[in-house]
Amino acid sequence: MIPRLTLLCLVVASTFACDGLPGRPNPDDRYQRPEDVKDFGALYATNCSGCHGATGQLGPATPVGDPLYLALAAPEYLRTIIAGGVAGTAMPRFGQEAGGTLTPEQIAILASGLGARWSSREAEKLAAKAPGLVAPVGGAVPGHDGQVERGRGVYGQFCASCHGPDGRGGEKAGSIVHAAYLGLVSDQGLRTTTLVGRRDLGMPNWHDLGQRPMAPGEIGDVVAWMASHRAPAP
Amino acid sequence: MNRIRLLGQWLDDRLALGRLYEHTIGHRIPASSASWWYVFGSATLVCLIIQLVTGVCLALVYVPSPDDAYASLEYLDYEQPFGWYLRGLHYWGSNFMVALVTIHMVQIFLFGAYKYPRELTWMVGCALFLATIGMAFTGQTMRFDQDAYWGVEIIVSILGRLPGVGEYATHLLQGGPIVGAETLSRFFALHVFVIPGALIGLLVIHIRLVLVLGISEYPVAGKHVEPGAYRDDYEGVVEKTGIRLMPEGGGKDLVFGALVLLAIVLCAALIGPKIPNGPADPTLIQTVPRPDFYFLSLFAAFALMPPYLETVVIVYVMPLAIVLLFAVPFISRGPERHPSRRPGAVIAVTVVLLSLFTLAWEGVQSPWSPDMDAWSGVPVQPRFVRGRSPLAHAGATILQAKQCRNCHALDGAGGKRGPDLAGVATRLTEDQLIRQVLQGGGNMPAYGKHLAPHEVTALVAFLGTLHPENQPPARSAASSSSSPTGFPEPR
Repeated sequence: MIPRLTLLCLVVASTFACDGLPGRPNPDDRYQRPEDVKDFGALYATNCSGCHGATGQLGPATPVGDPLYLALAAPEYLRTIIAGGVAGTAMPRFGQEAGGTLTPEQIAILASGLGARWSSREAEKLAAKAPGLVAPVGGAVPGHDGQVERGRGVYGQFCASCHGPDGRGGEKAGSIVHAAYLGLVSDQGLRTTTLVGRRDLGMPNWHDLGQRPMAPGEIGDVVAWMASHRAPAP
Repeated sequence: MNRIRLLGQWLDDRLALGRLYEHTIGHRIPASSASWWYVFGSATLVCLIIQLVTGVCLALVYVPSPDDAYASLEYLDYEQPFGWYLRGLHYWGSNFMVALVTIHMVQIFLFGAYKYPRELTWMVGCALFLATIGMAFTGQTMRFDQDAYWGVEIIVSILGRLPGVGEYATHLLQGGPIVGAETLSRFFALHVFVIPGALIGLLVIHIRLVLVLGISEYPVAGKHVEPGAYRDDYEGVVEKTGIRLMPEGGGKDLVFGALVLLAIVLCAALIGPKIPNGPADPTLIQTVPRPDFYFLSLFAAFALMPPYLETVVIVYVMPLAIVLLFAVPFISRGPERHPSRRPGAVIAVTVVLLSLFTLAWEGVQSPWSPDMDAWSGVPVQPRFVRGRSPLAHAGATILQAKQCRNCHALDGAGGKRGPDLAGVATRLTEDQLIRQVLQGGGNMPAYGKHLAPHEVTALVAFLGTLHPENQPPARSAASSSSSPTGFPEPR
């Protein structure tokens, strides 16, 4: 009689243990409406990883996971870009107010989450020496003749070894004066790449480009020189 | 002990239980019918009982209103102790029931058990099969999630194509001109009252027929079914070698039924119920609705067939297929029962099952549906980024931002509707790429009006880099340029 009782107890006990079985739905897998997703990882993977890469690097677009970029780009700046996109480039407007799908709260989560996930102390130290990510207001007008001339020289000094003597591509890197490329990148985009580089793809940042770091003015000059190759859209 | 015996005798006297036993589970069957091939019908019955019990339990919690149905499911899944397990049992019970009723039908068909005198048993069985499918579909609708919503939309679209009655049938089923508040109530009534009622009624007739006409003996090649002599032969066989269904004949049914029960219990415990995939809200565009497995073949067939065939299939082919299914005993009237003497039947079963499985597999893959999140959620693989020029990078962002990825995969990642673009440069020259992007062709829309010239140039520059390292890109024989984009080959 006792073994039967034990067996019965075991069966009842195992029934209650059922609640920990693998078939039990995990509350984390519960369906969420797209506008209710609040997890940075999920938001980034769904909305950003296509162009910026799964780890924020090694994608075709700006390496938003580069610690130097994140040290330079304030969350407010990122929020503006995510919400409103970048006109003339492939960066779409993600804000609901601009016709996108993300709520202001989700954009804030993305903007602050990038830094929280990928920033580094080392990059912040380097960024302290860097010129601002955004060109100072009231500086030289991009495309101004004198500035373009200076930019040509800066280019020859810092960039020509990879992008070729005239910018049309060299041994190590492709053209940066192709009209179609310049038609799809903003001046700010050119400045960002010059400053931050594409370390994921082998391009050094402004600090490591040449014998010495590029001076703040030189970055503006070389951007102006590149931008001067823009052709009006046909 | 004596008192219990006395009570038993008293009950037997009043209820005639002994006679009931003799005429039902104690009736004599041919010894050859006690085969492992004959267990699927009773196993389906086991599933039905599980469904009835778990269904009643679920109905205690489930709220059949559009506002609350989804929430009550989530309550079962996450709040109520063992609610998820109950749902798991009901879900897996339905899966097993559909599978087993199908296997039962295939076995009956292959063994020629529908032949004289069991034509009506077959026909009632077909009705039971349809009722089971009806239960499965209305049950899928009970989840009232995205799958349910779009499943109903498709079924009413199919109904709506029926000439004359389409509009009324649609209206009746939906409880209005659109899938709305009344629709779930209609499906709930069907799922818990109408179809189960019909199913139990049909089942009573089915079992009555089995008892009256006997279980067919195991087929023997060359032994013919002659309508004049069959019944006497059968009675002779039962007389000579017959055994009682219970306890002698039904042991295998009991074992298999227990195994099915165990399998359902294990599946519910280890895999669990199907999690509802979002409320039935047509404004949710980020959704990939798929039917439960038993409708994947139908889903795939309608997705793949050209539009001009749809009405033909709905109005003629599907009703004809159902009529043919019911008419099997009157079409296949040959005296042979053994499958080795009926190659046509074996071929028919093979072709139908292979088609269903192939279509179901396609339904799981559903390559015809674009992957709507691929443009922003499926990364361009780093190997397609490294060594490319800035222009090609800009082109890759255009590929994503213009949502090309939703239809075109890059090395398997992305939509499957269009061709995979990894290696596209070995198939199309620069000019052909430009033409394809601008003018479309095949299934692809023209993007000429949606892309600026810069964007086309960049996009084609990127596509031009998509070729294996040791295989040069396709080049027009008329072109002298070695590079499709006018700058040195990107590294």
